This record gives sequence, C-alpha cells and structure tokens, in this order.
Amino acid sequence: MKILIADDETLSRKLLEKILQRAGYDVIAVENGRLAAEQLCQPEGPRLALLDWMMPELDGPGVCREVRRRRKLSYVHMILLTSKESKEDIVQGLQSGADDYLIKPCDPEELKARLRTGLRILDLEEKLVEARENMRFKATHDPLTSLFNRGVILDLLGRELARTYREKGCTTLLLGDVDHFKNVNDTYGHAAGDDVLQEIARRLLASVRSYDLVGRYGGEEFLVVLNSCNATFAFARAEEIRRAVANTGVQTTRGPIRVTMSFGLLSSADWGVRPVEELLHETDAALYASKAAGRNCSSIARPKTSCAAQELPLHAPASRTR
Amino acid sequence: MPNPVQNTAGLAVNFAELLERVENDHELLWDLLTIFKRDFPRHRDSLIEAIARAEMKQVESSSHALKGMFSNLAMTRAAAAAAHLEQMGRNRERAGLEDALAQLEHELASLLPELDAYLKEARR
Repeated sequence: MKILIADDETLSRKLLEKILQRAGYDVIAVENGRLAAEQLCQPEGPRLALLDWMMPELDGPGVCREVRRRRKLSYVHMILLTSKESKEDIVQGLQSGADDYLIKPCDPEELKARLRTGLRILDLEEKLVEARENMRFKATHDPLTSLFNRGVILDLLGRELARTYREKGCTTLLLGDVDHFKNVNDTYGHAAGDDVLQEIARRLLASVRSYDLVGRYGGEEFLVVLNSCNATFAFARAEEIRRAVANTGVQTTRGPIRVTMSFGLLSSADWGVRPVEELLHETDAALYASKAAGRNCSSIARPKTSCAAQELPLHAPASRTR
Repeated sequence: MPNPVQNTAGLAVNFAELLERVENDHELLWDLLTIFKRDFPRHRDSLIEAIARAEMKQVESSSHALKGMFSNLAMTRAAAAAAHLEQMGRNRERAGLEDALAQLEHELASLLPELDAYLKEARR
C-alpha cells in the first residue's frame, strides 16, 4: 500500500519513513504541502497520507482542503501530524477534511494502529464503490446480453442526435431484429434462444467502433447507433454487421444454429431535426420493409419527399437494398 | 553500538524513549542523530538572529523547527524550552526572550555533550 509522508523536517521524515517501510508500506516522502497535494491528486496517487500541520508552501489543513476539492474518484485517508493540542486546533484540522490526527512525536505502535484504521476505512470504501458500480451496471444494462438496456440506449441516442444537430453531422440508427427467432425458441428451447441473443450481442459489439453504441431494444430487437457515420457509408456498415451475424452459425447448448437478422437504417442527415420517437418509428418501418422483402437484408428509411422513396413499391418511406 | 539505556536518569536525552521510538534500530538512531547534528546549528543560528532582531514570526518558526527535532529525539527539556520560545514568538511577547533563549542554551549545554559521547561510543 502506497503512503505519502509530507514533512519539511528531514529528521521527522526519515523517522516516519523508516517505521512505515518496516511495516510494509510503499513510502513516498515529500518536504512541502504543494508537492503533497500534487502527489495525492494524481489518479493513481497514494490513498493514505501523513501530513505535518506546519509546512512551507501549503500547510497540512490546506493539503486536505485541496485534495478533497480536486480528487473525486477515490477517497484519500489523511492524518494530520501536529504538536497542537488545543480543541480549537483539532477541530480546525478535522474541518479541513482530515480524517484523523496524531500528536507529535508519534509512538510507532499508535501510528501503525491508526493507519490500520485508515486501511479498514479505505477497504470499506472500495467495497461500497464496487457495490455501487454493480448496481449502476444492473440499472443500465440488459442482464442477458450485457448491452445497454432500452432506456439507456434511447437516452444515449437522444444525446447523440442533439450533438449531431448542433455540429451539423450525421448519426445512423440501425434497428435489427433476429429472423424467425420464435422458431429458435420453439425448436431448440429458451436456453438455446438465450445463447443466440448473447452471441448476436457479442457480434454486434465486435462489428462496431469503440465509440458506437449498441443496446437491446426489445426481445430479439437490437438498436445500434453509429456516431458520425456519413450516410454514404451507413448502408455498407449495416451490411457488414448483418453479414457478421449471418455468415457463421451460433454455437448453443443444443448445437450450432444458423440465424440471420433484418435491419432498418436511418441517417439523421436525411431527416433534419426530428424527435427521437419519430426517427425510431421510421427506422422500424424500414426494418419492416426488410422483413417484407424476405428477411436477412437491410433497408434505408428515407423521407417521403426524396427520390429514393418513390422508387420503393414495398413500403413508401423505406428503400430496400439487398 | 553503545547501550544508552543504562543510567539514563537525569540525562538531557531520554534514550530509553528514543530507542522505543526507533524500534531499537540503532542504525536509524545513528542516522537521526547525524541529521540532527547537521541541521540543528542552522535553526539555532536562525533563532538567535531572530531574537537579536526581534523578528517574532521568525522566532516562532525557528523555535517550532527546533521543538520538532528535540521532541522526535526525546530531548524533553530542550523541547519544552523551545516550545516556550515558540509560544512567545506566536504571542509577539518580546519581554523575557533573552531569558528563554538562555534557558534553551542551558539545556543544550548538557544535551550536546551527551550526544557527542553517544556518537563517539557508537563509532567504536
């Protein structure tokens, strides 16, 4: 465990450093408060600190205040070292953000015991953060596929579209549905159906860029948001993703199953500023066009006024390409 | 290394307490005393100069530094004398400064030979 010692007095620093090294700590020793704050505010900086109260540049309480203000991600347990013994001083030190204080000169056993208390608190904090992150993940992700759940992917889509409108860019929505998925469940059972959905989720994620978004939209429906994807390339991207699913069978507990997906896609640049619900409705219509055209294909949603829409006999607002 | 714990009654350095503080690490004790011998004169000179010029803020900080060194090395009486000077500096209390310094010097007069004797013995 890394620990920071900040003391302007060489003798005191040396004494503490030796005691703590002997107790198994990885010691970083600095001679003023400014250096201490810099070390403690680094993302991977020490999470335990012994700070002398009176130091040049920045005193111990000043370091505590700065660390509490700047380091938000992980907690730092800070102990002030002081020869001040008045209640007012102690209250002032603790109010600055220190967790504990020790009167100098420190008894080695008391020092180590106080640090063990600090370690227990840090351990507890780590467990709480881990539990919070688990809960956050469960609240935002689909439990079967670990993709973003419907609420989150729609929220992220809304933000992405707002950014796109602001920057006059283009975002592509891709709505995919597993073809004949009911047959998979009916023929091979729900466990095999779950295997299929999990593998499709993996393939979708592997087919997009790190800054694209993939979510489970419904039962066997998936929504992919391709950020900054030019309309010219959107269809080719959709087809790549479709082939990534169709080209290889899925290994399930009931053996390999061949599945395909149909896609509807919409490029925001074709539609101007429209509500998310409206764009999703049009993307869904394009997906329906793909289903109607025999499945395992992709269709582009186009505004009714566009030339492409007039060429479509199957579904007016969608153009189908296979 | 000498065994400084024997016959410590009345000494300016409480070696029993000091050894406990360094967890009986004689090598560390030697290092600390060497640091003290190196750094102490600078703080002492700074204090004497501050008193001569009646720079009370400097009196406070030099005394504080000395108090810290004395305390760490279990030099209890010298630490108390330095603490008194620090308090006077903090309170901007000029009257009696010379007497307080004399008290500290009196403590040092017995403390420094004790340290030299220990270091000399340890060197053998």
